[in-house]
Amino acid sequence: MTPHLEVVANESVATITVAALSKRFPNGTLAVDDVSFIVPQGQVVGLLGLSGSGKSTLMRLINGLHSPTSGTVNVLGVDVGSAKQGELRELRRHMGFIFQQFGLVGRATCLENVLIGSLGRLRGPRLGVRTYPKALRLLALERLDRVGLGAQAFQRAETLSGGQMQRVAIARSLMQEPKVLLADEPVASLDPESSNQVLDLISTIAREDGMTVLCSLHQVELAIGRTDRLIGLRDGNIVLDQLTAGIDSDVVMDLYRRHGTSDVVREATYA
Amino acid sequence: MNQTVQARRTTPALTPLYFLRIASVLAGFVAVWWAWNRLNMSVLAFFDDLQNVVNLFKRMYPPNFSEMNRIISLTLETLWIALLGTFGAVVLSYPLALGASANTTRHPIIRYICRSIITLTRAVPELILAAIFVAAYGPGPFCGILALALHSIGMIGRLFSDAIEETNDVSGDAVSSVGATRRQRIRSAVIPQALPSFVSTALFRLEINIRGSAVLGLVGAGGIGQVIGESLETIQYKPALAAVLVVFIVILAVELLSTSIRQSLIGEAATQQQNKQRRRFSDFLNRRDAILNQNAFEKRQLSPPWTSERIFRSSMFIFVTGLVLFAIFTVDIQWKYAYQNSHKMWNVLKLMFPPGAGGESSLLIRGLVESMAISIVATFLGVLVALPLGVMMARNINVRRFFSFGTRIGVLALRGIPELIIAVIFVSAMGLGPVPGTLALSVTVAVFAAKLFADSLEEVSPAPREAVVAVGATKLQEFSAAVVPQFISPFVSTLFYLLDVYFRSSTVLGIVGGGGIGYLLIQSIKVYQFKITTVIVISIYLIVLAIEWLGNGMRRLFK
Repeated sequence: MTPHLEVVANESVATITVAALSKRFPNGTLAVDDVSFIVPQGQVVGLLGLSGSGKSTLMRLINGLHSPTSGTVNVLGVDVGSAKQGELRELRRHMGFIFQQFGLVGRATCLENVLIGSLGRLRGPRLGVRTYPKALRLLALERLDRVGLGAQAFQRAETLSGGQMQRVAIARSLMQEPKVLLADEPVASLDPESSNQVLDLISTIAREDGMTVLCSLHQVELAIGRTDRLIGLRDGNIVLDQLTAGIDSDVVMDLYRRHGTSDVVREATYA
Repeated sequence: MNQTVQARRTTPALTPLYFLRIASVLAGFVAVWWAWNRLNMSVLAFFDDLQNVVNLFKRMYPPNFSEMNRIISLTLETLWIALLGTFGAVVLSYPLALGASANTTRHPIIRYICRSIITLTRAVPELILAAIFVAAYGPGPFCGILALALHSIGMIGRLFSDAIEETNDVSGDAVSSVGATRRQRIRSAVIPQALPSFVSTALFRLEINIRGSAVLGLVGAGGIGQVIGESLETIQYKPALAAVLVVFIVILAVELLSTSIRQSLIGEAATQQQNKQRRRFSDFLNRRDAILNQNAFEKRQLSPPWTSERIFRSSMFIFVTGLVLFAIFTVDIQWKYAYQNSHKMWNVLKLMFPPGAGGESSLLIRGLVESMAISIVATFLGVLVALPLGVMMARNINVRRFFSFGTRIGVLALRGIPELIIAVIFVSAMGLGPVPGTLALSVTVAVFAAKLFADSLEEVSPAPREAVVAVGATKLQEFSAAVVPQFISPFVSTLFYLLDVYFRSSTVLGIVGGGGIGYLLIQSIKVYQFKITTVIVISIYLIVLAIEWLGNGMRRLFK
């Protein structure tokens, strides 16, 4: 499917360029199948799809946590697939990544978890808050304030609620001062209230700091009002690519429903 | 929140917990420093010692296989002792475990008695039990079997009881609901659920006992240890090396065998894994089994059909039963003699009580303190070596495949050698004293701890690691920021577990001249001063309890 003209307004400031990207895992699963799209600077993109549709794999390909089977990913002018370890690390320093499971070190304090975001700028290993320079510690506190958790700075991360943990993870990304933010199902394991909080936080920060965001979600409703553009994935293929403004949510839901019912029917025949 | 940015604290408040942690780490180092000086260890002497060990191996080489027939027959005897000892322990543990579990025994006093028996048997080292039996019944494999059977109850009974308590209560209730008696309930609902765990426990203990039975001969309780003991006493190293080599090969073979049996015998998952590997053969078997099952259904057969799984299980059962029977008739157990001497055992028991130091209390305390020092230094040195080894062995830490694989093989090979055999070698090379004993124990600690560390490193959650990589951190940064914090708490647990295990080991090093309380312990048995034996055993038990208590506290502190 060719992307709409308006969504690739200006290719010269493209931040993420994905071209004919495919990923096949060693067990034979084709998780991403010939996907192409361009994200211009500052755009907030919602990535929709059911579990197993290839969203996570796509995110990891963009960050270089997976390497592509074919096709290319270009982020901030760096070809991720062919980048060397050092180049990839350098690129990741400018790219925040939010995980569904937060990826916090449970035993460490919130402050230390946020400070981990600055590791890319530092040389050598760190262990414990005191091993980071004071300037960075102050900066980390300020980031925690920004996500509303300044008071919990010295609490262990494992004592927080899910929504709070995800906000600490966001603060960790902010520590990188990223140009790109990838959020892989950031609210899939949160309750509705925390989900709204976390997504509002992400979209507010993105607009304030002019970040390019790619955020994968299960539900369309969550994307509306918070994203500029929606990309829908199914079985590793792009099945939808439109601006969010004025989108008919029934069209999107239909996409899911058809998929959903066909699954049910298939299961019913087997049972 | 009203504070200005500059005035905010950027480090955690210094809580008492924080100081307590620092103090306990310092106390740990002070303990090592004390123990180090107590044993007169020195880093410089270490290189001399190393040279001595190398020289000894030169003297040992080439191994003398002239007594090969004797070596082989005694090695087989070792295996039979281990098998019968384990078998005896299983038979004794079964009723004890039923009696100790909350879901099979209601009466708290019976439960308490069974549990106490299980704990007590573990408190006395098997070598000491063997020495006591030798004193009563005279030397022979019978004593070794008895010692292994009694000592193994401690582990087997405990794990059996755990398995019984972990069974699902609902199926038990279902059996009771049809009006079954309690014995029927246990037989039909509890045992079938716990059986796989029983089998794996027994196999695991068999493996440990094979290692243990190799040194029983040092106190005259049968098996290959006899040859090693004799030839070292007479300074004839060449036959000793031959025996050590044979033991080494047998133990390695048993280890590989038991690993593969354990994988094939237990769990559906393992079977499926294997089926995948031998798809064609298993396709054939599955098709045949399906036909068998169908026939059984259509013809209303009243017993289960002989599917491949049932054939395998039955043949395993017949094989093990046959092996045990064969062992009983092969090993030279003089039942009549044992029966006639049982009054001597009774005398020994009477002599053990009341416990008394017999005027040797200062020697006794010195021995115990030395054992403590040996175990502290050995644990320290062993852990120091084991940490990098564990990191290299852990499959989820990205080290070069070559190193990782090499370390695994090396550790697997060394793991089989009982610490007393290493101690025998070191004592022969460096002379009597606690230093060779400590170094020998350190080798065992290092190998065992490396495996434990690798296991806990492999359990580290991958999520934070991925997140740290995603911010552009280097491998070293990722390791320190995401792996180390997760590793601290299992490390502390392992440390005290090691201290517990190797303090027990250090109390028998003295049997081969490796220092500690062991010398006094074995002498007290040899000269029939059994009341001293009792005092020592009780002291060891109390120290082990103290280590356990300290370990629990530390675990909480570093949680």
